[in-house]
Amino acid sequence: MTSDDLAYATIADITNHYRRRALSPVELTRALLDRIERLDPTLHAFVTVTAERALADAKRAEAALGHGQDASPLLGIPVAYKDIYATRGIRTTAGSALLADWVPEDDATCVTRLREAGSVMLGKLITHEFAFGIQFPGHRFQPAKNPWNLDHMPGGSSSGSAVALATGLVGGALGSDTGGSIRGPAAFCNIVGLKPTYGRVSRAGVITLSWTLDHTGPMARTVEDCALLLQALAGHDPADPVSSREPVADYAAPLRQGIRGLRVGVPRAYFLEGVDAEVEKAFEQALATLRELGAAVTDVEIPSIQTSWAFLAILMAEAFAYHEHDVRVHPELYGDVLRERVLAGGLILGSEYVQAQRLRSRLHAEMLEVLGRVDVLATPTTPKPAPTFAAVWDPSFGFPKSNMPPFNMTGVPALAVPCGVSSEGLPLSLQIAGRPFDEATVLRVGHAYERATEWHRRRPRI
Amino acid sequence: MIEKEDDVTLDEVRARMKAAGIEIAENRLEMVRRLLSDALAPIHAVDSRAARTLEPAVMFDAIRSAEPRRDDDDE
Repeated sequence: MTSDDLAYATIADITNHYRRRALSPVELTRALLDRIERLDPTLHAFVTVTAERALADAKRAEAALGHGQDASPLLGIPVAYKDIYATRGIRTTAGSALLADWVPEDDATCVTRLREAGSVMLGKLITHEFAFGIQFPGHRFQPAKNPWNLDHMPGGSSSGSAVALATGLVGGALGSDTGGSIRGPAAFCNIVGLKPTYGRVSRAGVITLSWTLDHTGPMARTVEDCALLLQALAGHDPADPVSSREPVADYAAPLRQGIRGLRVGVPRAYFLEGVDAEVEKAFEQALATLRELGAAVTDVEIPSIQTSWAFLAILMAEAFAYHEHDVRVHPELYGDVLRERVLAGGLILGSEYVQAQRLRSRLHAEMLEVLGRVDVLATPTTPKPAPTFAAVWDPSFGFPKSNMPPFNMTGVPALAVPCGVSSEGLPLSLQIAGRPFDEATVLRVGHAYERATEWHRRRPRI
Repeated sequence: MIEKEDDVTLDEVRARMKAAGIEIAENRLEMVRRLLSDALAPIHAVDSRAARTLEPAVMFDAIRSAEPRRDDDDE
């Protein structure tokens, strides 16, 4: 096995190597720490590398494996966390000068669950400032670079998580998704990202952007790896007031059932408007693949889908409510753009926020009605490939329309899977959304597509 | 930039800032105006009288209204 093969091994592969004693957690952890030291000065995926903690975790996993305790599929798996997940004794910055030296006293519930599953913590991954801003030149924390083209952004806000996975620095990572922050970076970096159902994975200990839109979830190099991470993360958490008591399904076992007979709905209005020709072509080819796999693909309509962008009013109003004190008292500690985005939320009227939530109710009801007729929805994850840094640093770039917020508005699970490459060599992605708490079917469709294609196997030249 | 008829105007942004007690640098107002216009366009486009019974999703749940907290949640 080459060092690259080792770095890009999937969670399932690593576990198999451990069980055959072909690899040890300490050996893999040392290899990844060396790789981080070599590559991260260029990529800027990490804010904090926790080498000592990683080696201690790896030794503990190695001892457990030596005693035959390999029940957890995450035992000895190297992971890292978007830097808005609180980590006990390890600084958690949220990519912000305001929290640059904050050291939490407790772990976020998700961090606790992955630790208890035996994972190895490699460190904390850069996020856009408070998961909402953009790192402009001169920002305290440098932005992560897209490994497919260093002049392009890797997406956000879980940018470090996607870059670390795409470059073989970690085996799995966690992100958060308020309007696409797991799926967007996954799409731009050619990895897999899952936004689970609202309430499926705990938000406790994760810094808030928007209470009613925030989701936490896994990012990985394959759909199966996402399923394995979700299995450890999912379940009721009394520390999160919106955590659901819905029973947790088995996410890995059904993956190999195939998708013959499944109904795939394609909501063309909104989701196919304004997409690049290359994106549309890759999407149609992905639909053809799903048909070849036995799925019935039909167009569907979500009547009020065009109101989805009321999402932005909800996000801005809730973000202002969260940040109001700090942004009024310490505006200088907020980066350019984030400061104005947050303050703009304070200009939204109470009645406008309520109207946005009413539109959301209607959209939600329509989404559930459509998902009663089909098993999943398929759309392009993003209308275009990753933009350049120069483009997003232009003040006129704004907050462009996106295909991901409709699923934050409705809380249903949505997965991003690699599905192509642009003429510039940038990744393209397929989005699959499903019924509330039916992550198993969403993952099943993603896995079937992934097995039928090679896109997820592409690696950037770094 | 040409403002669409339903766009928020710069004067409206300034009026809202005054009412909210919020200060934003003059050279950032156009960015804020466009952000607000985008955020409010779908809201201003809807006649709320046409759907009087539509309830807001302020306690959002992916399946139904959020369940009430149980006493054992605090344990």
